[in-house]
Amino acid sequence: MCFRKTIFFGVLAVFSAGASAMDATVKIELEATSYTSIEDESKFEDNVAVGIEPEIKGSFNDGDLIYNFTPFIRLDSRDEERQHADIRELHLLNALDDWELSIGISKVFWGVTESSHLVDIINQTDALEGIDGEDKLGQPMVRVSRSFEETVLTGFLLPGFREREFLGSDNPLALPFPINNDPVYQSDAEELNIDYALRFSGYKGIIDYGLSWFHGTSREPSFMPGFDGRLIPQYGLIDQWGVDIQATIDAWLWKLEVINRNYDDDAFGEDFTAAVGGFEYSFYGMADGLFDLGLLAEYHTDSRNDPSSVNFQNDLFLATRLAFNDAESSELLAGIFVDQDDDSTSLRIEGSRRVFGDAKLSLEAQAFSNIDENNVSYEFRNSDFVELSLELYF
Amino acid sequence: MHTLSKLMIVSAFTALPVTSLLAQTPEEKGLEIAVASDQRDSGWINVSSEMEMILRNRAGKESKRKITNRNLEVDGDGDKFLSLFKQPRDVEGTAMLTFSHGLEPDDQWLYLPSIKRVKRISSKNKSGPFMGSEFAFEDLSSQEVEKYSYKFLQEEACGEFECYVIERIPQYKNSGYKRQISWIDKAEYRPMKIEFYDRKNSLLKTLVYTGYQEYETANGSFWRADKMEMSNHQTGKSTSLLWSNYDFETSLSDKDFNQNALKRLL
Repeated sequence: MCFRKTIFFGVLAVFSAGASAMDATVKIELEATSYTSIEDESKFEDNVAVGIEPEIKGSFNDGDLIYNFTPFIRLDSRDEERQHADIRELHLLNALDDWELSIGISKVFWGVTESSHLVDIINQTDALEGIDGEDKLGQPMVRVSRSFEETVLTGFLLPGFREREFLGSDNPLALPFPINNDPVYQSDAEELNIDYALRFSGYKGIIDYGLSWFHGTSREPSFMPGFDGRLIPQYGLIDQWGVDIQATIDAWLWKLEVINRNYDDDAFGEDFTAAVGGFEYSFYGMADGLFDLGLLAEYHTDSRNDPSSVNFQNDLFLATRLAFNDAESSELLAGIFVDQDDDSTSLRIEGSRRVFGDAKLSLEAQAFSNIDENNVSYEFRNSDFVELSLELYF
Repeated sequence: MHTLSKLMIVSAFTALPVTSLLAQTPEEKGLEIAVASDQRDSGWINVSSEMEMILRNRAGKESKRKITNRNLEVDGDGDKFLSLFKQPRDVEGTAMLTFSHGLEPDDQWLYLPSIKRVKRISSKNKSGPFMGSEFAFEDLSSQEVEKYSYKFLQEEACGEFECYVIERIPQYKNSGYKRQISWIDKAEYRPMKIEFYDRKNSLLKTLVYTGYQEYETANGSFWRADKMEMSNHQTGKSTSLLWSNYDFETSLSDKDFNQNALKRLL
């Protein structure tokens, strides 16, 4: 790809100019998972995995030119499909006055809500890494950004589509059908289609806002049955508008995200509008300063209105967050999703604490209960899990 | 409103030669010293520095944090700050952008590098501990004159210096303190020691400044302490702040204090 070549020579030219600052770290994550309610004998019940993420970053030219290289490798003792490597970041960024230009592979986040990230669309979800959708694959891009007094306008050129990858069929969190890994694209250029996006964001007093537009290949596939019985992921061309707003008033954070997606061809998906909105309220210094307590509530709606195909079509998310004011930065988040149409419920707990001065121990647990047989999560009803992980830094 | 209150303070200050001939109330004298101290430390325009934070619990067990800071002086409003966390490593790359506004709530954004997310956060938590330390957020925030009311108490020796002793009472919302007693040296108007009294008016913490260095710059000379030691008398814990690499001649300007800049800090 000519795009890759450009980066390569760009990086080469810059390195020969001499670096002024460099920082290299390696993060190693050890992960042990136990699936506590497996009934299907074809699924494994426990798993051990390792994630390795080196990061090399630095700058030239008095900090105006910044580079970052972050590869990622996942080794998994049970699920071969989950073993994968990705370049999360490999880019050069030039900041000059109010302009910023970035070329290469990057990650970008848009949005304000906690329980889902509707507006966030630039990067493909790394579905092998977790079910919360917060892990992303690196996306090749040229990004140009202009800052004004209280606003930023950013344009994206996105050459090179990253297809979603899927867990092996023996993984308890795998989709309940075999998948053909040769996807179908609406675009004739297939994964070489060039996508575009624009984002205008800013703040005014207590309000932070973003308005975004994306045109190109949908990151989310739909599926069609193939001749061999496996399902084929298909990626249509879409136009998606997004709005995100947060009002920060005292200890209240009020949040709203809305998207509207239009498929160029109905065969690839049904047009829809979806929204998630709610609040987070914090009580600071509870129990004589021992911890801060946050209460979160977010409501999800979707014009497709079908619990059997859409995850958050009429769902309520309620959670509480405990942030301890200790030297170990201990945290605990417990949340529950309840489908308002059929009462299907899932419970999630996340806890973390710094250990050995420089490492982090995390616990994550998810339980599915009362899942209606027509709900999109029905196949996960026996996929409860507890995961313990340790992040080490070198 | 800020500009107005600051103007009033400045005019109070410029009117000094007349009023100081007359009998001054302790409140007027306290304000006069606070304004003089603020004036003495104005005009630095921008500065970058590094900070090492050593937390000690009652048993003497230590944990460390490293943070780099960039500050921008703002005329007619509170200053702008960027803090980048370097250690502990699990929060490396996390950064915070603050636009302080004196008596009004500050605007504050947090950058989470693992998911590349910039999050607007509430700045209500003034009295909470910063990074689990004995420093509260309000102790490390921009010290604008209008954030306190003042009362001159006495003059006394403070170590090798002669000091003014002033009581100051927070006027901003959500402070964890009923009052503070501050020792300011008479020669250079530098804070030497501050005692913090909790909402129940019991002595909570003492902050001691040591190792003052004078930094000569194109915009004047400014004093900064190499070490700030905060001791909590109620818990027996303490935190040391060790400052280094002060640079008062950076190219930092307004364009380095926005959300894009927050995401590209190194």
